Amino acid sequence: MSNEATAQPVCAVRARVDACTLVCREHVAIECVVDAFPPSAPGQFLQLLCRDSEAAVSALVEWSDECRPTLSDKDLRASAPFLRRPFSIADQWSTPGGDVHVRVLSRAVGPGTRWLARLRAGDTLDITGPLGRGFRIPTDDAPLFLLGGGVGIPPLLYLARRLHELGRRNVLVCFGARTRDLLPLRLVQEPACDATPTRCVELPAGAPYSAIVAGDDGSVGWRGSVVDALRAWHARHGRGDHPAVVFACGPEAMLKAVARTTRALGLSCQLCIERQMGCGLGTCLSCVVRVRDAVQPTGWRWALACQDGPVFDRDDLLDYAAVPGA
Amino acid sequence: MTSAPDISAAADDPRLVTDLAGLRLRNPVLTASGTGGYGPEYAGVLDYRRLGGFTTKSVTREERPGNEPQRIVEVRAGLLNAIGLANVGLTRFLREKLPFIQTMPTTVLVNVAGHRLEDYVAVAAALDEHACIAAIELNVSCPNVADGLMFGTDPALLQKVVAATRHVLKRAQLVVKLSPNVTDIAVFARAALDGGAQILSLINTYVGLSIDAQTWKPRLANVTGGLSGPAIKPLALYNVHRVYQTVARAAGVPIIGMGGIQTTADAVEFFLAGASAVAVGTALFIDPTIPVKIAAGLADYLTAHNLPHISALTGQLRLP
Repeated sequence: MSNEATAQPVCAVRARVDACTLVCREHVAIECVVDAFPPSAPGQFLQLLCRDSEAAVSALVEWSDECRPTLSDKDLRASAPFLRRPFSIADQWSTPGGDVHVRVLSRAVGPGTRWLARLRAGDTLDITGPLGRGFRIPTDDAPLFLLGGGVGIPPLLYLARRLHELGRRNVLVCFGARTRDLLPLRLVQEPACDATPTRCVELPAGAPYSAIVAGDDGSVGWRGSVVDALRAWHARHGRGDHPAVVFACGPEAMLKAVARTTRALGLSCQLCIERQMGCGLGTCLSCVVRVRDAVQPTGWRWALACQDGPVFDRDDLLDYAAVPGA
Repeated sequence: MTSAPDISAAADDPRLVTDLAGLRLRNPVLTASGTGGYGPEYAGVLDYRRLGGFTTKSVTREERPGNEPQRIVEVRAGLLNAIGLANVGLTRFLREKLPFIQTMPTTVLVNVAGHRLEDYVAVAAALDEHACIAAIELNVSCPNVADGLMFGTDPALLQKVVAATRHVLKRAQLVVKLSPNVTDIAVFARAALDGGAQILSLINTYVGLSIDAQTWKPRLANVTGGLSGPAIKPLALYNVHRVYQTVARAAGVPIIGMGGIQTTADAVEFFLAGASAVAVGTALFIDPTIPVKIAAGLADYLTAHNLPHISALTGQLRLP
């Protein structure tokens, strides 16, 4: 497995928003530009300050007579998110001039994500990152299966770019959502409804991979979950000599189903999990998850999703799939 | 609005160099325990050469895995946490964490917690052997473990544990961190001083509760947690003011003030209330460089107000 060396993160960097566009109902894509930003790996994440950052970092606010601060009704009613919020990197690339472009997708579900959705080109976004450990890409030529559900799709988009850059050919993508207009993707053609992979999804950097699209309610592509689609695809094509490696990100229930299913099918699997985080830097010790550890008398220990993850090997996670023989 | 402070200006500014009863600080802005790990976590993002002092996460005699998740919940203007003193324990601390601390170019305070008097004494004595540890901060006020508050909420016990710890310290300064979860914090400040505390730090978190109105369940697995962040700043200021006015000023014992500090103006308020140094805790989660920014901001503040030294602010609250 290749494991990209992770660079030291940069904290509280002011990024300029280049675009904030609606990609589907409830999801926006935010693309921002930073003068300098460390290289990142797919699966790594950013901590975004989902409010104006002035108050948090300014030395001292001087209120002159000419420029008195005024509080609008909006300010008075606002419940500004205090801590940063973690977001998977959906794409990152550098321009020849040295600027770094970073993209995240956000689903507007609370005050912070609604604040993000109101960003416009030219606004400032305060970002910390890149954080955590990303996907480990196997160096052999195993087929790679990228499985994303809803808000879990973004890190797999970035992974598709990286795999394309690495020249990987045997890659299949499977994305799903509850319903068509919650799918945070641009479809370039209508997905097949029988789990046949087609070039229906626009991927970063023009990555030429076929995709299966699944909608729980049948409104788009395969009717059912991405896990059902994986099973259907595997029944037809997955019995080659070389078992696929599955990379998955999505809601907790989906990840547990992916863990069970991939284990039953004999496929290795990496899961990108989500946890509430305080710092994202390994100090607050709040984003804990049980991992197997034979050295401990209990057989497990707490790992930090922000530092040891968010990508974990399925077999290291205690709470995602029953242990074989246990 | 002023522009971002020039951080380089604050490095070793003589107006900021602070001596807390013999504990020398480059500037009076520290990190608070439990928010900066053991040091390596912020290496590369927080420039320790410009930090006044670093306080480690609590160390206990035995290793502690900590509480079940959910361990934190964000509340309006603050954070409720119940980590449960998760830490590597004394043996692993000395073996795995001390080597990095030895390289840290700042004053290091190690926070010590325990549940029996002998635990505090044993851990403090072992840490005192190491010259890179300038001070021991006694955590007698953790609200998130079964008996964590015991020493912090019984003045006689507090005095006893402080005296026993002070007795074994040959070198390191003794800081006692006070809990606000008491009727009158001045009683506990007095008890700590009577036990031999050389510096007081306050406040620890307030016990709080967050409830999910949909499920009727507590949001934290531990049910209750410690409240920190800007929500507690006025409460922290009151406690610093109270301890300074009633006990610390007369005794000449310095106070490290903390609770919701995010900006230079916040820090100035704590100095005016009676603090000789301040610590930044929860705000580090948002930006680990805030202490360095505040130190630079304090230098600007001294210039703007034509003050010779930061200590000229301590306790200068103009009372009616």
